[in-house]
Amino acid sequence: MTTLAVSPITARKHRRLSDQGFITVMVAVVAVLLFLLASVLVPNFFQLQNMINLVTNNWAVISLGVGVTFLLVSGNFDLSVGGNVALAGVLSVWLAQSTGGANTLSTGLGFPLPLALAGAMAGALAIGALNAFFVVRLGVPSIIVTLGTMMVARGLAQVITHGSQRNTNLPDGFGTLGNLTLFGTVKLPVVLMGMLLLVAVFIERRMLIGRVTYWVGANPVAATLSGIDRGRHVTRLYLFSAAIAGMVGILLASEFKSGFSNRGMLMEFDALVIALLGGVAIAGGFGSVIGMFFGAIILAVVTSAATGLVLSPDWQFILKAVAVFLAITAQTWALARRNR
Amino acid sequence: MTKSFAVTGFLKDYYIYLVLIVLVALLASANLDQFPLFERGNFLYKRNIINILRVSAPILVICGAFTLLMVSGYIDLSVGSAMSLSAVVYAMLALNGVPFLPAFALTVLVGVLLGAINGFLVVRMRITPVIATLITLSLYKGIALLLVEDGTSAIKSGGGLKMPGWFNSYGRSGALLDLPASVWVAIAVTLALIVIQKRGVLGKYAAATGGNPTAAKLSGIKTGRVVFGLYVLVGISAALAGIARSSFMSLGDPLSGDGMELTAILVVLLGGTAFSGGEGKVQRSFIGALIIMCLTIGMLTIVPAYTQTLVIGAALLLAAATNHLVSRKGGRK
Repeated sequence: MTTLAVSPITARKHRRLSDQGFITVMVAVVAVLLFLLASVLVPNFFQLQNMINLVTNNWAVISLGVGVTFLLVSGNFDLSVGGNVALAGVLSVWLAQSTGGANTLSTGLGFPLPLALAGAMAGALAIGALNAFFVVRLGVPSIIVTLGTMMVARGLAQVITHGSQRNTNLPDGFGTLGNLTLFGTVKLPVVLMGMLLLVAVFIERRMLIGRVTYWVGANPVAATLSGIDRGRHVTRLYLFSAAIAGMVGILLASEFKSGFSNRGMLMEFDALVIALLGGVAIAGGFGSVIGMFFGAIILAVVTSAATGLVLSPDWQFILKAVAVFLAITAQTWALARRNR
Repeated sequence: MTKSFAVTGFLKDYYIYLVLIVLVALLASANLDQFPLFERGNFLYKRNIINILRVSAPILVICGAFTLLMVSGYIDLSVGSAMSLSAVVYAMLALNGVPFLPAFALTVLVGVLLGAINGFLVVRMRITPVIATLITLSLYKGIALLLVEDGTSAIKSGGGLKMPGWFNSYGRSGALLDLPASVWVAIAVTLALIVIQKRGVLGKYAAATGGNPTAAKLSGIKTGRVVFGLYVLVGISAALAGIARSSFMSLGDPLSGDGMELTAILVVLLGGTAFSGGEGKVQRSFIGALIIMCLTIGMLTIVPAYTQTLVIGAALLLAAATNHLVSRKGGRK
């Protein structure tokens, strides 16, 4: 009895929510409040299907957000993911297209499907390796490097597709992956996103490699001095992010049965925006995958509510700007108040 | 100290001019008879030079102020969106019967405002420059898109309104030596900024702020004001770029500045400005801009347009890597 009466108090004393937990809870509360507000304002918003759509429509950006969040926590940008999505998708199509088509864009290399997908992943990972090489080996600021590789990846996709798309002469099984449904109606990409989120949260909370990411981001010098191979760690994170981008690119190409060089345009921007909305600090060492997920929900609620209110789609740029601005100032203010 | 140091120092200062000369020589010596863009088969044909310069007017006018901002250790990713928004505003004013000079002045004022918003977010709100200007990138782009009516892609003649006759002369017709006013404005702005950087206080303050912000502050430089002023300067140059582009194209296109931030970063890095700040020259960025424009336009005639993104991306990586390595070596010695 006595222990029961005492333990909540001591527990509260010793287990005060960390700053990061506090921000994550704050982001989640904001997401729920915004959803309720939108439900009041927008007709037909409060429906189960709509709630599900808020997550499932954004599987690509949320998946990319995982890699981007890890990198931001380690103190690095990754703006190459959008271009990488296009490159991986275009590569998978080009490699899988059979030889001897009617024209250049319908003639591929005729690889068997598994080999084509492996080749596409290799291409995506090569971009990740390029990021790591320039950032880790040469010490060039990550924002410049990944802006460059963003253009290199998309540029390669444009060269392969001659600036448009390849969608003919594909093997029969090519569209399977992206359109497969499991458990009735859930698409495979959404299931993969869910699994990725679970794995990412486990890595972040429970595995050494996840904790090292925070140390590297919070204090690079201290991390190096305590024997952490910072370069190797950041290299791994860039490869991880590139692998996710490769997967997303392949799934999107499969879903639409085409390799389109403009696919994934601005996705790097959206992945960064949802991470910032979710309380990830670009200075490094602070943020979480769960926060990023709720950041994505906030963005999804705001943009779909705007569409529901029949605002022109041009509003989304302004809404994103205002949302990020409010999120950053609110988080800074709340943390300053809390730790006064 | 040593001879080799003097040689590398000389190379570091002047290699950019060599690159431009070699590039132009290569383009001029190539046999381009089969390529229609070069009339009379020569890159150095007068009409071709004029054309390259007037297409380049926007980046030429932006690169100077952008260099000073990067020298002070800051960055503006919103410069392309600010240019688009200015282009739209300028075209709207002209379409609604505002004469040339007031329209020009009002658009420049819009540029001042856009730059001041960036400066406010960075200096006052203390938001990291990359994030602050990403926010305004999205904001300015959204406003530019909203200003253009749904269903049309740009501000242009139509619906009873007609673009005035003077509209495209600023960016197209020859004002002096057959070059349009937009090019002369770009040259004048660059010259002014070169003088300011060499002799003026602002140039020294910018370098001090970028080299060592704490030391600059301790020696009495109001770094906040310097940075704010530089953001306003970039805003003005973005507005001038928007006017040049919209006049050249005879319409206000809300996407006309897309990617300008990347081109600006590229030419400034190409000119040897360190991304971390503290070092860089306006004139070298100007040469860098000429190189990139000759390269892209020269390329367009030889290889298909869809290779451009790849080449610019690769150039950005190369420029960033080389100048980072060079400046790091210099620092260690």
